[in-house]
Amino acid sequence: MAKESWLTKFPAMDRQDLTAIKKSLDGAYREFSRNYGELIESFFDPLLYFLVWFEKLLLETPWWIVIIVVTGIVHLSARSVKLSVGVVIALCLIGYFGMWDNTMRTLSIITVCTLVSIALGIPIGIMMARSNRVQSIVNPILDIMQTMPAFVYLIPVVMLLGIGKIPGVIAVVIYAIPPVIRLTNLGIRLVDPEVLEAATAYGANKSQRLWGVQLPLAMPTIMAGVNQTIMMALAMVVVASMIGVKGLGQPVLKSITNQYFTLGLFNGLAIVALAIIFDRVSQAYAKRTQRHMEGTHS
Amino acid sequence: MKGLVGIILIFFSMMASAVANEPCGKVTIADMNWSSATFIAHVDQFILQHGYGCDVGLVPGDTMPTTISMMEKGEPDIAPELWVNSARDAIDKAVADKLLRIAGSSLSDGGEEGFWVPEYMVNKDPSIATISGVMANAKLFKHPEDRSKSGFFGCPAGWNCQISAEHLFEALKLADAGFELVDPGSSAGLAGSLAKAYERGEGWFGYYWAPTAVLGKYKMVKVDFGSGIDFDHFTSCTTQEECEDPRVTMYPPSPVHTVTTEAFASKLPAVFEYLSKRSFTNAQMNTLLAWMEDNQAEGDIIMEEFLNNHESTWTLWVSSEVATKVKKALAEL
Repeated sequence: MAKESWLTKFPAMDRQDLTAIKKSLDGAYREFSRNYGELIESFFDPLLYFLVWFEKLLLETPWWIVIIVVTGIVHLSARSVKLSVGVVIALCLIGYFGMWDNTMRTLSIITVCTLVSIALGIPIGIMMARSNRVQSIVNPILDIMQTMPAFVYLIPVVMLLGIGKIPGVIAVVIYAIPPVIRLTNLGIRLVDPEVLEAATAYGANKSQRLWGVQLPLAMPTIMAGVNQTIMMALAMVVVASMIGVKGLGQPVLKSITNQYFTLGLFNGLAIVALAIIFDRVSQAYAKRTQRHMEGTHS
Repeated sequence: MKGLVGIILIFFSMMASAVANEPCGKVTIADMNWSSATFIAHVDQFILQHGYGCDVGLVPGDTMPTTISMMEKGEPDIAPELWVNSARDAIDKAVADKLLRIAGSSLSDGGEEGFWVPEYMVNKDPSIATISGVMANAKLFKHPEDRSKSGFFGCPAGWNCQISAEHLFEALKLADAGFELVDPGSSAGLAGSLAKAYERGEGWFGYYWAPTAVLGKYKMVKVDFGSGIDFDHFTSCTTQEECEDPRVTMYPPSPVHTVTTEAFASKLPAVFEYLSKRSFTNAQMNTLLAWMEDNQAEGDIIMEEFLNNHESTWTLWVSSEVATKVKKALAEL
């Protein structure tokens, strides 16, 4: 065999140096987690209490009240009898096949994740829309968040915060927040400049323009982002259960390792049912806001 | 153009004849996704390749998928470290049906399972090394989500040990002491929770197994249930899903075997003989795994380190002729 040279083999870094880098970075992270872990953990405590409280609320409320409330929300936002009947049937089937508790756990964590994503995502999207500089910084970060394999940041988060709901929420939010940020930014940027000019001419100040013109006109796009965020959050349910988040993800994991296909299929379908409910509600709501606006403008 | 095709043809026929000359042929080894198994797979790969002239490929694997694929499709040929208890019935049946053959123990002491607590806690209060001590100090083991409860970290969802850990949790009446069984979701989640507690000197009580890099790195003490091992009850009840009345028993050593397909074993008896001799003690494996962890080494690097520095161990597994060939290949690395 020919002697190896830099022409045939990539001149890679020395193995010892590489090991040294890996070890010192790992060591630094451990040190950081030892020193600041508890502080960061207590920072998330309020969120944890809320998560536990909300899950308990959903679990301890009798099933028929939950069905009535969920259907009520669906009906108020979508105003479609067909959809409401479908929701009742889907929830009854979930309960009948013994997946009620896990579905409630997943419902609670997904609801919280969606609220956190919206609460963080829309302001960031607005900031991005207002400044090209912010946009050029945030965009690559969003790319990383969407493509980085979840386990790469899951295990460091577990080292910092332990297993359970909080790291689960963080992982889900990291993965699910980009669409709402991107589409808020896009929606506001797409608002017709002449409309804004008209608003300025009527003497609207910056915040009046934002709340009265930009956000309402961008609403359909923003809602599409919210919708995508919810879908992506639901897709992360199984990954989140790999760090001890209770819910529909755990039986799915169990069925993967044991090859219980039916168990996997049932729980997978329950996740799909939740996704469809969330999806139809947010889409119908978005459509109604749009129709309402068309009505006032014409 | 014609010339190019000719060259390619000659090249391929040369490759084909080179393969045909080997007596061994193509062999696939399951490269399981945990460190000790991946290390053994790499050692086997190197020795089979250079000592027996096989054309070896590693395929990623995990206990259940690999076992099932070996039974159903006869591939991969070798599972170098199979924890037999985790698929007891399936493997017993496959061995009886002449689909699989057990070559020998990869870990001669067998795997060690149990409920563990960190060593620093035992140093502070020696009573924690026993189950009554753990239960009396339940407050020290915080639940990750609910501060008012204590947490016991069980086995990841879907693993066979989930059943035994649950039954023992029940038999030990840990719930009465304020413990709640926490499902860590995955082995990464379980290891992460242990590492987090250990780095900060917090309490941790849960299921784990050895030899593993985690237990090589973090010094843990196996909690004594004070019951000894009740082997019959363990196999007939503790590990079974339908166990009405689980009793307390320690985990018996878990057999860890090298398993091959029957077709492979009958085709290549010489290689099979090597596989039946290749075995590690837990002490050896723990040292190697700790080295691996310290150097963040991958399977191929620890393999090199092992073959270079532990000659007295591996030369016993092969004939002197094979050993010379392997040594020659090692020198060329």
